[in-house]
Amino acid sequence: MKILVTVKLVPDTNADKRIEPATKRLVRTGVETVLNPFDEYALEAALQLKEKLGGDSTVTIVTMAPESGKEVVRKALAMGADDAVMLSDTGCEGSDVYGTAYALAAAIKKTGFELVLCGTQSTDAITGELPGALAEFLGVPGLTYVRRLDVDGTTLKAERETDVGYLKVSVPLPALVSVTKSINEPRYPSLKGIMGAKKKTIAPLTLDDLSLDRPIGSEGAKTELVALAEPPPRSKGKVVQVADGAEGARVIVDFLREKKLI
Amino acid sequence: MKNVIVFIEHTGGKPRRVALECATKAREIADALGGAVHAVVLGKESNGVAEQLKAYPIDKIHAAEDPDVDAYVVDPQVDYLEAVVRAAGPSLILVPYTMIGRDVGSRLAARLGAGITADIVDLAVAEGRVNCISPKLGGLTITTCTFKSEYGVAAIRPNSFKAQPSPGAGEIVTLTKPAGKAYVMKVDDEVVEAAGEVGVEESSIVVSGGRGVGGPEPFKTILKDLADALGGSVGASRAAVDAGWIPHSHQVGQTGKTISPKLYIAVGISGAIQHKVGMRTSGTIVAINKDGSVPIGEFADLLVVGDLFQIVPELTKALKATAASHT
Repeated sequence: MKILVTVKLVPDTNADKRIEPATKRLVRTGVETVLNPFDEYALEAALQLKEKLGGDSTVTIVTMAPESGKEVVRKALAMGADDAVMLSDTGCEGSDVYGTAYALAAAIKKTGFELVLCGTQSTDAITGELPGALAEFLGVPGLTYVRRLDVDGTTLKAERETDVGYLKVSVPLPALVSVTKSINEPRYPSLKGIMGAKKKTIAPLTLDDLSLDRPIGSEGAKTELVALAEPPPRSKGKVVQVADGAEGARVIVDFLREKKLI
Repeated sequence: MKNVIVFIEHTGGKPRRVALECATKAREIADALGGAVHAVVLGKESNGVAEQLKAYPIDKIHAAEDPDVDAYVVDPQVDYLEAVVRAAGPSLILVPYTMIGRDVGSRLAARLGAGITADIVDLAVAEGRVNCISPKLGGLTITTCTFKSEYGVAAIRPNSFKAQPSPGAGEIVTLTKPAGKAYVMKVDDEVVEAAGEVGVEESSIVVSGGRGVGGPEPFKTILKDLADALGGSVGASRAAVDAGWIPHSHQVGQTGKTISPKLYIAVGISGAIQHKVGMRTSGTIVAINKDGSVPIGEFADLLVVGDLFQIVPELTKALKATAASHT
């Protein structure tokens, strides 16, 4: 089975991000670029599926990122993906959810697939809206929030999380599935994997290769940023050392009363 | 865009509160745009939900109590919603920023060629355009986005608007099934693990536990008791979820959920950046920690330094006593 995994490169989750006031852009210097942590679960799910199905199953990474992100893509290859397709084009800059999904869908169709796996959301934009839009543009069933999946012939059996539990769902392939953090524990690349990744193919793609029928990037964006503002400051509040549980409870109850929360 | 169309998420025969919050705000936006407010309610018990929506300022309530909506994942909902939206013409579509809302909204936006915004906490109309306001980068910056497309989808964070009953025209329209569709994502079974629980996104009070609570037990006992006493939900930090103490659906933070409850109580949570970005826009933040120098002290409204295992049960007891003295 041909499995594709979409991957986004994001600023390190643990970094304290800041906005440069003059340019109103995220300061990226000194902040490491990493694989979107949510995508590691999708990749792990793909690798496990490949291991289970065996035969000629393959796992291909698909990403839209500047060429400078190549080394981060290598990490995904080091985890065990077979190869990668990387859409790098200045024309992609400024893409919103719509443009990103449209261009990625074109890259995925060109690559060919039976199953596309995505993370639930990215840790930088946190929209959670890409998988749905991508499924729509691919014209395939799109099942999101999957915490368990299995393939039985041409049918995918999955558990989809809900607020109160889960749904058991069957979906015919080809399909797109987004997975949650509950699905697995992503592996660390082995030394052998890291060495092997250096020889794996990262196929470059540009927008010219995709012959899109509409602009993407800033020009094709359906949304427009009109203003950036500083959030209201959240200042340091009271710090109260308490001797025991009863005093702690009293301090909190008084505080909640003062704030009219109880 | 002129009209505002609200996708009504509902459960147990009742609209979710975020749906009512959106319906209330929709009126203000539609009035500013000179359009109408439509609501779309789909699936089992829709007719009953539609009746309840009459209490809110909605012009037309479109309902379809079609079993396919619950028998198949997402696609029937997108088709019904698309039909209402296309009939209404250029419009703003409000979906909740929840699992279902994001799913329906993202597919609809792609289909309509519409812009979609995420995690919106406020809406405003300026010069005939709809501005969507959202904290990004964990509240580091507040962005205002608008649409360049004739349709726009805004995914609204629960607890952003006040739900205010005020009856509108409330005309109920029964939708006809979109023709020529074949659905394939079949629901074979529905498993309920936590009946009646309100998710952390939607709760106005959240009690979260972190590494400091030391294991899975307190999530089911002292934290749950406190959340129950306050009428809230239990959340968790990444450390607690990664340790397997509580399912990921409870996680607040960058790799979990971003929430804005009225009151957030952080128990045994240090407040590292990863957690902070998920809850810093809460109304009031109270932290309980044995260490007075934890990062959360820098932005909590109150940090109580002491033993959480003593403070939390005492607090629950005190709150119950307060509640009892008022009845």
